[in-house]
Amino acid sequence: MKARRRETGRGATDRGATYVFRLFVAGNESNSSQAKGNLARLCEEHLKGRFEIETVNVLRDAATAYKHNVLLTPTLILIKPHPKVTVVGNLSDNRQVLAALRLTGNGR
Amino acid sequence: MGRSTRRAQGRDAAGLQKRRKEVQKVPTGIAGLDQVLGGGVPAGRMTLVGGGAGSGKSMIGLQCLLHGAGAGEPGILVMFEERATSVRQNAMARGWDLAPLEKKNKLCLLDARLSPEVVVSGDFSIKSLLAILDQKTKAMRARRIVIDAVDALLYLYDSPLRERQELYALHEWLLDRRLTTIMTVKTVPQEEPHSRYAFLDFMADCVINVDQRVTAQITTRRMRVIKYRGSGYGRNEYPFVISPDGVTVMPITSNVLRHIPLGPKVSSGQARLDDVLAGGYRSGASILIVGTAGSGKTTLACIFSQAACRRGERVLYINFEESAESMVSSMLSTGLALRPLIKNGTLMVRSYLPEAMGVEEHLFHALEALDEFQPRHVVVDAISACRRMGSEFHAFEYLMRLLNACKERGITCFYINQATGLDIIAEVSGIGISSIIDTVVLLRHLPIGDTMKRQLIVMKSRGSKSSDQFHAFRITDRGIDLGKAEPGDTVGRSAHPTGFGRTGDR
Repeated sequence: MKARRRETGRGATDRGATYVFRLFVAGNESNSSQAKGNLARLCEEHLKGRFEIETVNVLRDAATAYKHNVLLTPTLILIKPHPKVTVVGNLSDNRQVLAALRLTGNGR
Repeated sequence: MGRSTRRAQGRDAAGLQKRRKEVQKVPTGIAGLDQVLGGGVPAGRMTLVGGGAGSGKSMIGLQCLLHGAGAGEPGILVMFEERATSVRQNAMARGWDLAPLEKKNKLCLLDARLSPEVVVSGDFSIKSLLAILDQKTKAMRARRIVIDAVDALLYLYDSPLRERQELYALHEWLLDRRLTTIMTVKTVPQEEPHSRYAFLDFMADCVINVDQRVTAQITTRRMRVIKYRGSGYGRNEYPFVISPDGVTVMPITSNVLRHIPLGPKVSSGQARLDDVLAGGYRSGASILIVGTAGSGKTTLACIFSQAACRRGERVLYINFEESAESMVSSMLSTGLALRPLIKNGTLMVRSYLPEAMGVEEHLFHALEALDEFQPRHVVVDAISACRRMGSEFHAFEYLMRLLNACKERGITCFYINQATGLDIIAEVSGIGISSIIDTVVLLRHLPIGDTMKRQLIVMKSRGSKSSDQFHAFRITDRGIDLGKAEPGDTVGRSAHPTGFGRTGDR
């Protein structure tokens, strides 16, 4: 039983690459909800129109979590552009997350 | 499966008899450990194994899982530090092939290492790990689980509070699934006794500490059970070894001496010596052969070994002085042909460097040889070299325990002791084992005029009559040529105190 949700930012521009994320959450527990919110806000602010987020609920889809060796929730994986980046936590430290995702300096 | 429930009788305050139910236990399959734990680890509960790096924690966990896999209790190994591939390889080196067990869903290795590149931003939990474990546990009907190096997980948390919360969540989850758990945690001996993880001790139902320490440049391993809720346990520190076959704990069982009475006489391999010993050595006896260097101790032991082997009685020769090859070739000069006996499997020579291993490992090798080879007689050449296992105390421990093992099995035990000085009688008691020695044969060679004269005397022979006189002997190319009794006090008066050198009744 797969419980994935795909959100695609409309009108991906040609200039910047499209960011593809996979976010592992544990249902609606607090850290997971916060991570969802923080990631959505970050994408709107810095990647408007050029991001994809695939959300995996580990409580329903442990197999995918196992496949990707994700043991902690929430876990955000940047799949594209390479190289892959993994951020664990509710993404509350905005500056740290931006730095990890290589998004500092090109924001507005 | 494989569980044992023990009931103990007790009386409550009112003096009424009641039945006290001891906790259900699951055997770990580790020799000796189950004995110390009174049957095994608590079923469906958590056991904490703490110890420093390389102390054998992970090995204990893996062995418990393997035992479970073979006893209808599938298990999961969660590794926070080691790669699954290296665990498989290390296991293979010990002859444990994990692949078939993994294929049959009896064992699951879960690589839970966190990549060092992971960025942590904000709070998180181990819910995903629990979700994965949930699925695996159900799929393979797991009954056992090992959480290896849980400290590596805890280090991720900045806050001691979050550490605790997550571990309690894990603990609750484990209890809910009634999984028999072994959790290992690294401890640093120099620090306050694992202050950081002290709460783990409170959480677990059974706590075991393992360590390895170095005394006199030799490493020994020890384990101790700190607590066991609802059960008794052995309260001492127990030595253990990690052999090629895994962990073996060696509880010292001999609070009760279970020695088998001495058996019938067996020939010493030399007719005249048999006369002196009034028929030979008693089989199952402990015999000490003492003498200065070159006095013929090894020859005497080899003469016996050859005779015993030719009678079809297997002899285990533990040599701390020289290799089997060099012993065989040097004995050729005295007319002893040991090689055929080694070839036909009646004589087994095991040579070890005393300082190469600690006492436990030496003992392990010796006891393993006793079990596998099933000898009738054992020779240790020479016990004086055993001091090099660390100290006089280590030598005593080794010799005492080996002797006890032999006595329990009715095996004749020859201990050869090299005396250093002329006053060798003082060294008979060497290493403090003389009280359990049944027979002492003393060899010496003394300068008389311009020749060296060899003499032999049987100083103590429990359960047997024997000559108490000095006998001159020669080592020839046909073995030992033992002469008639001669008055002891005509030679080397200084070499023996009163009471021993006196002329006997014969």
